[in-house]
Amino acid sequence: MPPKRTPTASRAAGGSKRNANANSKANPPPAAAAAAAAPVSRKPAAVKRSREDDRDAPAHSTEENLLAGKINGGGGKGKGKASARVAEEDEEEDQDDAEEFEIDTGSSNGDLDDFLDREALESPADDEDEEDDDDDDEEGYNTSDIEAMENASGDDEQDDDDVDDTSSIASSSIAPSTVPDSNLTLDQLIAKHTYKPDENMDIYVSQATGGRPLVGDATTGKFSNSKEGTGRLVPSKFVKGALMREYDEIEAGYGSESSTEENTNTIGNVPIEWYDDLPHIGYDVSGRKIMRPAKGDELDKFLATVEDPDSWQVSLPPGVCSPDIAYKLLQKQVQLSDKELDIIRRLQNAENPDADFDPYQETIEWFTGKGNEMTMPLSAAPEPKRRFVPSKWEHKKVMKIVKAIREGRIVPNKPVVEKPRVYGIWSNDDMENPPHAMYMPAPQIPPPRTVESYNPPEEYLYDEGEKREWEQQEKEDRKLDFMPQKHDALRHVPGYENFVQERFERCLDLYLAPRTRKVKLNIDPESLVPKLPSPKELRPFPTACAVQYRHPANSRVRCVSVDARGEWVASGSEDGIVRVWDLGNGREVWRWNLKGGPVQAVEWSPNKEECILSAAVAGRIYLLAPLALISPHVAQTTLTHLNTAFSSSSASTTNIASGKPVVPDAKWVRPSEDERDRGMMIIIEVQGTPKQVTWHRKGDYFATVAVDATNKSVLIHQLSKHQTQSPFKRTKGAVQRVAFHPHKPHFFVATQRYVRIYDLVGQQLLKTLMTGLKWISSMDIHPLGDNLIVGSYDKKLCWFDLDLSTKPYKTLR
Amino acid sequence: MAKIKKRGESGAAKNYITRTQALKKLQISLSDFRRLCILKGIYPREPTNKKKANKGSSAPASFYYSKDILYLLHEPLLAKFREHKTFAKKLARALGRGEWALAKGLEERKPLARLDHLVKERYPTFKQALADLNDPLSLLSLFERLPRDPVPGKTQVPTEVTAECGKLLAEWKIWAIRTHALRKVFLSIKGVYYECEVPAGRSGETVNVRWLEPWEFKQTVPADVDFRILLTFLDLYRTLTSFVLFKLYTDENLVYPPQLDVKLDAEGEGIGRFKLAERAPDALAATTVEGEKKITKKDVKKSIRSVAHSSAAAGGMQVDEEEDVLIKDEPAAEEEFTYHPSKHDAEASDPSNAPLPTYTSLLATAPSDGPATAEKGYNIFAPYTFYLSRETSSRTWEFVIRAFGGKIITTPSLNALSTVPEVASQITHILLDRPMDAATMRTLQGTNKWTWVQPQWVADCVNKRTVLPAGEGSGYEPGGTLPPHVSPWDEEGRDDRPWLGTEASAAAAAIEAAASEDEDEEMDTAEAGEELTPALRAAAENPQDSTLVHQAELEAEAAGVDHAAFKKQLAGAAKKGAAASGSKPAAAAGGEEDLRKIMMTGKKQRLYEKMQYSNNERRQESDKLASKRQAIEKRKKKGGK
Repeated sequence: MPPKRTPTASRAAGGSKRNANANSKANPPPAAAAAAAAPVSRKPAAVKRSREDDRDAPAHSTEENLLAGKINGGGGKGKGKASARVAEEDEEEDQDDAEEFEIDTGSSNGDLDDFLDREALESPADDEDEEDDDDDDEEGYNTSDIEAMENASGDDEQDDDDVDDTSSIASSSIAPSTVPDSNLTLDQLIAKHTYKPDENMDIYVSQATGGRPLVGDATTGKFSNSKEGTGRLVPSKFVKGALMREYDEIEAGYGSESSTEENTNTIGNVPIEWYDDLPHIGYDVSGRKIMRPAKGDELDKFLATVEDPDSWQVSLPPGVCSPDIAYKLLQKQVQLSDKELDIIRRLQNAENPDADFDPYQETIEWFTGKGNEMTMPLSAAPEPKRRFVPSKWEHKKVMKIVKAIREGRIVPNKPVVEKPRVYGIWSNDDMENPPHAMYMPAPQIPPPRTVESYNPPEEYLYDEGEKREWEQQEKEDRKLDFMPQKHDALRHVPGYENFVQERFERCLDLYLAPRTRKVKLNIDPESLVPKLPSPKELRPFPTACAVQYRHPANSRVRCVSVDARGEWVASGSEDGIVRVWDLGNGREVWRWNLKGGPVQAVEWSPNKEECILSAAVAGRIYLLAPLALISPHVAQTTLTHLNTAFSSSSASTTNIASGKPVVPDAKWVRPSEDERDRGMMIIIEVQGTPKQVTWHRKGDYFATVAVDATNKSVLIHQLSKHQTQSPFKRTKGAVQRVAFHPHKPHFFVATQRYVRIYDLVGQQLLKTLMTGLKWISSMDIHPLGDNLIVGSYDKKLCWFDLDLSTKPYKTLR
Repeated sequence: MAKIKKRGESGAAKNYITRTQALKKLQISLSDFRRLCILKGIYPREPTNKKKANKGSSAPASFYYSKDILYLLHEPLLAKFREHKTFAKKLARALGRGEWALAKGLEERKPLARLDHLVKERYPTFKQALADLNDPLSLLSLFERLPRDPVPGKTQVPTEVTAECGKLLAEWKIWAIRTHALRKVFLSIKGVYYECEVPAGRSGETVNVRWLEPWEFKQTVPADVDFRILLTFLDLYRTLTSFVLFKLYTDENLVYPPQLDVKLDAEGEGIGRFKLAERAPDALAATTVEGEKKITKKDVKKSIRSVAHSSAAAGGMQVDEEEDVLIKDEPAAEEEFTYHPSKHDAEASDPSNAPLPTYTSLLATAPSDGPATAEKGYNIFAPYTFYLSRETSSRTWEFVIRAFGGKIITTPSLNALSTVPEVASQITHILLDRPMDAATMRTLQGTNKWTWVQPQWVADCVNKRTVLPAGEGSGYEPGGTLPPHVSPWDEEGRDDRPWLGTEASAAAAAIEAAASEDEDEEMDTAEAGEELTPALRAAAENPQDSTLVHQAELEAEAAGVDHAAFKKQLAGAAKKGAAASGSKPAAAAGGEEDLRKIMMTGKKQRLYEKMQYSNNERRQESDKLASKRQAIEKRKKKGGK
């Protein structure tokens, strides 16, 4: 090896190193180097030589300087087909070529192969395979391949190196021993397809070339491996001294897709960069690593481009995919020959890739033409008469037309009578179409106003602010589609530039704008406002304060009630004191300190014969009677009414009289005698805080509402029996207010949004009034019982006419 | 059980059809559909509930009334469109193959769509046709002056179309001149608005037709204006206008179309190139409406009567016709037949002093209803002859002046007028639109009595229906400051400008005076208000209460105020109190109104608020105008001082 480190040499060295790694035992790098060192002649024209021949006469090879050194060491040999590829360069000539040549020394089958291989390698010109050019494995086409193809036209193309190898081995064993050089390819073909490799023999077989007899062991080799295992026996990698079977690769038939594939890298469509850090670039069909081919550095590339006149060919033309992929996958440079380029060009031009194909060749007339006439007709029937007699029906038709022309019914080129272009279409007794809801004539453009004048009064002109506003507004938002202008003479008026645009928009409006009917009310807005009597007409009504009921400064009044006869006023305040005032002069005449927190409600009984005041504090309802103030007769009735139940039943008044649900928690308590003397007649202990007390008109029943007492929020108390009922097992919503119907046994319950009317006798729901309010605050019934007013916290008032509907008759804000 | 209603089978879902569905149903292209819609007057509708109309989808779509589309299905135009499509195919094929004879034959038998039936269908009565004549006339007057390719490289406007537009407009104008139908003229920045009063039938109904004619400049045409749409509209409008004109001419007993004088047309004459001709009497019966098929006894009688009538009036009419033609064609030549207007300017400008019309002049100017026209002021220019200076638009002013009975002279240039004394002596008014100093005017005028006016004078006279004074100081003289030109349609609408009339200015003055007085008084009361005692204030609040007044007097005496001063103080305080109480009732009324509004339903309340809003807008607008006007007048006054 010369000391000079040329690019190719370095490449070769790198490659050899890598290959040495991959190479198992078969090819020690020195051997490879030795093999590479010797110039190996090669015939690019796929001249097949036997190994012996090569060994014998390296010097005889005519093109030594070409150094097509490629020693392909036997095909389907075991694992590592590990070809030690060492590119050796011929110092003198091959630098010019910059062509990379490979010496492939693959391991042969088994030990013997290896041995032989080594032998072969030792002999420098050992070219064991005959098809050195055809199949530079894992590479795509190269020039020599194509040439080989050309030359050996009859030769079956062998793409797959491994397959070739096996078959060549096989073929060598069966091919005729003496084959003339010229028939070599044919021989190969035959051999390949007729001979099977013999795995047992492990004899290195080579093919005879150049008229030498084939050294095969046709006599001992087994032609079929179907009988005794199909694999070759090779020393096992895993167990020392054992043999393992290794199988041939399957040769894909011509029809198979893989037969045409020259790319044996099977990594698929993954980025090749993933293999950048690895010594190999992928795997072949049988899963063996494909080592990275030798590759020069940038300097090499540059030199190659400089020195090689063919370097432009390396880059593939755009649009050619498959060679490109092969190039990438195998990390090799591809050289395209003129022929290949021609094929690519033809494919690009959508022509037939075969240059010899003639698309316009002469047609061969098989059935017609001269000399192909049938001697016998198909039918012997004579020509029918209708073929040569004029049609009767056509004649009839024609005669019809002729007759019509004669009679003047058909006048050729008769002048068309033109309808007059204009004529009267309206008469005086035209009627308009009857009016229809879907008839919507387009509105007319309103007449122009003074502001549109060429010389308007000055006040119509825009000042600066208005001008700016007009300019800034969107076109659609402008009140006027033009800026008012004033010209001092008619001759100064310019053309209006939006004229066409406006006409066009009008036309668009006429046929594109959706129309709808809008009723335009031409009424005085004041006619919408209802007439109300003025407050003056509603006199007399109190206009000044007459009486003041002065409470102590720190007490806030929560509730007030006037008694049925109009003598007293009762008020309950937050300090828990119920006061009774003389209505006329505002003097405080009585007071009870209930000591139960703020008084929530006070209410006089509506019965005029009695004088009972109910007051509610948290958890208790008091029935009070200012006995000292009232007339004895009234006091007597009051007392009787209040005390009847005490006398009839025992003091504990939670009796169960009827089937009605009686509330055990409501307890009618008789206060102490002192308190009774002060007028506190009965205490009813209930759950929760009653917020409202409302009396039945007759004064025997009264109802209380305590919102926080859940299902016992509404209680109805009967005074004469000291009995309390909870009419509802379960209330729908939080009850706000309750009320008794003035004369019917009906009971009104107002929850937050609805008012429900229950029949107390029938014990059923009669009606639900939809108030439409958010939160009901108060409710009252007209004394006649057919009108109901409901107030709410959202400042609304609903007026129901109970005879009419469940919806409010009127809602006032 | 009642029949179950299915969704999408009644109501809006059935009433409306989207455009895409319509196209599918009619099996035509969008452009054909557009043409059909324009010609047939079919327009999209806005359904009250779009979702219901669109079968539950809220995607934007344009909806058509489905019966409209159903009617389109058997529209003869649709068949014509299809025929034309096949014709175009055949013609293209023939031309492509070079079969010229076939192509020629095809071209001869080209299917032509006529729009007659559409006119009658869209406008069942003549009145309706007239009511919809505004847009057609405006579009015709636009196309009259358009170049052949308004948008270069796009749809072209054939010259025949442009010519026909001009012809129709001229015919319309001749008719208006003859019948004195022109009522209003308005010179706006967009162009000239005209309004004609057109008789709509036998019952004496009239329809006002208003159209806009652009100024005679080259139109700026935006590139996005689609002339295919405009031309489709124009097709319809041309047909409609020609039928309307036919009816109008026939009602006037004129031949339609009028004859075109080729020579005058070549000379560039505008309206005058058409010659009106009476129809032959025997044509009368024939030109009754085509619809009348049966000839009843009545018809026969009528025709006999009409024939007799026309023959009786034949002599007069003949004269009239000749006169009319003469007037129209050579206004200068017929001067000897017209009455010479008074030599005095004042007399000339005053219509009451205008000469009584002679028989011939009446016939010439008002062929149909002369006296009535004169009464209403529709021939205010009858005694006058106008000379139109070169820079005035003869298209506008010839039409306006002649429609109001005036005569026009345009031929020799202003400087050359003195060379033709017999023409110059005829002229009463010179319409001039350029500044000219008095000396030049005098030299040009020579011995003739000419009134020099700017064109606006004519328009203002027409709108006022009187001959306005046009001397020095009126502003109408050449170079003068013109009075504002006001729209004649302002009275019809909401625009009211009280300050423009004479009485209005008085009112304005009164307001101003009141304002100044108020200012003085305010100062007074401000002085007095400082020292108002409680008693005085009480007295001022109710001046009828004598005890309170007395109390105040006593206090004043104690304070040393003399009686006169006290009286003044009291009056001032009382006035102030009154003003305060005056505002108080208003406030009270406001409160009451609030109470009343509470009683309104929500719907009415919304409506009420809407009305109030729009009324306020309008009021604000007019207030703004008024205040601007006041500011301008104040400024002028100051400038004058």
